[in-house]
Amino acid sequence: MTRSFELNTTISNLRDLKASDLSPYDAIYLGNITCRLYEANLLEHLDDLREAIAAVKVQGKRAYVTSYAAPRNDFLPKLRKALAVAVEAGADAVEVHNLGVLKIVHETHPGLPVHIGGLANVYTDAGAEVLKRFGAMRITPNYELSLEEIGQIQRQVGLPMELLVHGKMPLGISDHCFLLDYEEAWGVKCPDLCQQDLFLKQGDWAMKSIGKGVLSGRDVCMLEHLPQLVAEGRDCFRIEAVSESPAYRLEVGRVYREALKQAVAGMNGMEEGWWNTLRNHARVGLCNGFYFGGSGMEYLGARRWAEASGPGRPGTDLLQLSQVKGVIR
Amino acid sequence: MIELLAPAGNLEMVAEAVGNGANAIYVGPRGWSRRRDAFEMDDAAVRDSIRIAHDGGAKLRVAFNTNMQSREIPDLLRRMETLVGYGADGAIMTDVGAIAVVHRHFPELTIHASIGANILNNADVAFYREIGVSQVVADTKLTLRELASRKEQLDVGIEILIHANYCYTYLGKCWMSPYHRLERTIDDGGKDLFKGSPNRGGLDYRVCLEDWQLYSGDTKWEDHVALKNDAFFLLDDVPHLIDLGVHCLKIQGREYAVSLVGAIVKFYRDLIDTYEAHPKGERFDLVPWKGRLAAIQPGRDAQRSRGTQALLAEGRIPVAAIRRH
Repeated sequence: MTRSFELNTTISNLRDLKASDLSPYDAIYLGNITCRLYEANLLEHLDDLREAIAAVKVQGKRAYVTSYAAPRNDFLPKLRKALAVAVEAGADAVEVHNLGVLKIVHETHPGLPVHIGGLANVYTDAGAEVLKRFGAMRITPNYELSLEEIGQIQRQVGLPMELLVHGKMPLGISDHCFLLDYEEAWGVKCPDLCQQDLFLKQGDWAMKSIGKGVLSGRDVCMLEHLPQLVAEGRDCFRIEAVSESPAYRLEVGRVYREALKQAVAGMNGMEEGWWNTLRNHARVGLCNGFYFGGSGMEYLGARRWAEASGPGRPGTDLLQLSQVKGVIR
Repeated sequence: MIELLAPAGNLEMVAEAVGNGANAIYVGPRGWSRRRDAFEMDDAAVRDSIRIAHDGGAKLRVAFNTNMQSREIPDLLRRMETLVGYGADGAIMTDVGAIAVVHRHFPELTIHASIGANILNNADVAFYREIGVSQVVADTKLTLRELASRKEQLDVGIEILIHANYCYTYLGKCWMSPYHRLERTIDDGGKDLFKGSPNRGGLDYRVCLEDWQLYSGDTKWEDHVALKNDAFFLLDDVPHLIDLGVHCLKIQGREYAVSLVGAIVKFYRDLIDTYEAHPKGERFDLVPWKGRLAAIQPGRDAQRSRGTQALLAEGRIPVAAIRRH
């Protein structure tokens, strides 16, 4: 029997939702976790949130409402209202990155399924056990964990582990938007500042700036490792497209939908067109994040980083998986 | 009386901090705290630190404030049992699972939630209280109003960093360093030191302090972008914090020279004692204290700058392979 899987992504506002073709996805996380001032953030515009949940569900998709990565006390009243809207509008789950918010959800909406986000810092099986007692039903482990560690948590705790399989992973969350310092010089105002496809670069180091945080410069790409992930029992996969265009969301989503279908059917086909699509959307290349135990910006596998990143961009030496296995204990 | 908590990266620093009036000292067992191993201690040194602290009338806390691997938790418990047996007075921790496990095994041990736990709101505090934490370190970005609300509403001790860094990111929510360079080094005890990952106990290459260029697409918009990162000394707020009833004022800096840490501890000891002896309601003149602090600051800045340049250079070195420590 072919196993089922879930492919999901993130959308911050109603405009982006309406502009996006959701056909590759089974579920959508709604809201922007980093900034209350993000353009029409669904977590701050609750009529939009209600409409977004309905729009996702009418397409037969699951609607999840995410929440802030670093909420201070003054975030909480509005967040409580957003949670109430999520319940009223029939959201299928909420995602929490903050343990105080987890406690609030557990106490005020005990029946609401909770997904633990990657910024809640689940690093250990013991930590996952604690969060399970507070109602967690799915966990995205911290992005810094290896596949081996994630497997151990899943085996011990028995909850589904969600993995970011493609897109830019968070590298830092801030309360300070340094882009505001440049409003006058650039003639671009908030909330348009963080929409300018901004990258911080120095030599071969690069990070994408979103004002109140930074993301990996390279796109995490686990395309060629999907058969391994499926074999290890993973079945919830995320394309992190919160800072990307609707075209990225659709085209990258289609690649992964097809590749996952093949992987769960026991096939391991890699189409050249898939790589062309990913290469076209990855401005500074691909990486595997921390899944294989090394530095987050490394790309490990059969595909050379340079090949996966396209011509005219600097490459790095290929590290074979056999070498990686020596690194993970 | 408010507690003055000082760092110690070696035995000499323990003695210096205690001698200059610290009420409590924290040290990092090797491999288990948010500093590189050079500023951590083996068990024998922790035992000696406890003796020096207790002889001087101070408490000693051990910092197990890493996000470890699941399989390392049994090692953590063994290590904790040894150090509690030596007389450690408390543990500074981050990982929620490790906190819960340690609280179950050592219910009498005071557990302090580390700055890396990134506790930002009152509901956060209530969560950590529920799993066994009795004191929390306030994030450096919190305002006095937020701290006052916490103190009023919650039965928890609050620790304030009075000498530390104010980073662009929240502590515990930054992975810039291991994204660029993570070296897997196993020490003699089998502990992975995760060099490059501060959250996991390794050093931080301070990648954020690079001189960045900012591009929009392929177009360079700015030539020099510095992400915010200031080492600070709290001064103006210290009287307010004492009045507010916070439990502990904490100095960070195990990596600094012994003499510098001693000078910082002496400065805050004198400030606290003088303020507490000062008649309530009368104006407290901070001007002389600003002068004393100004004499300490250049030495701190020079040491930090040298450390940052060395770390950024080290961060550029390719990772060769796993190696034993």
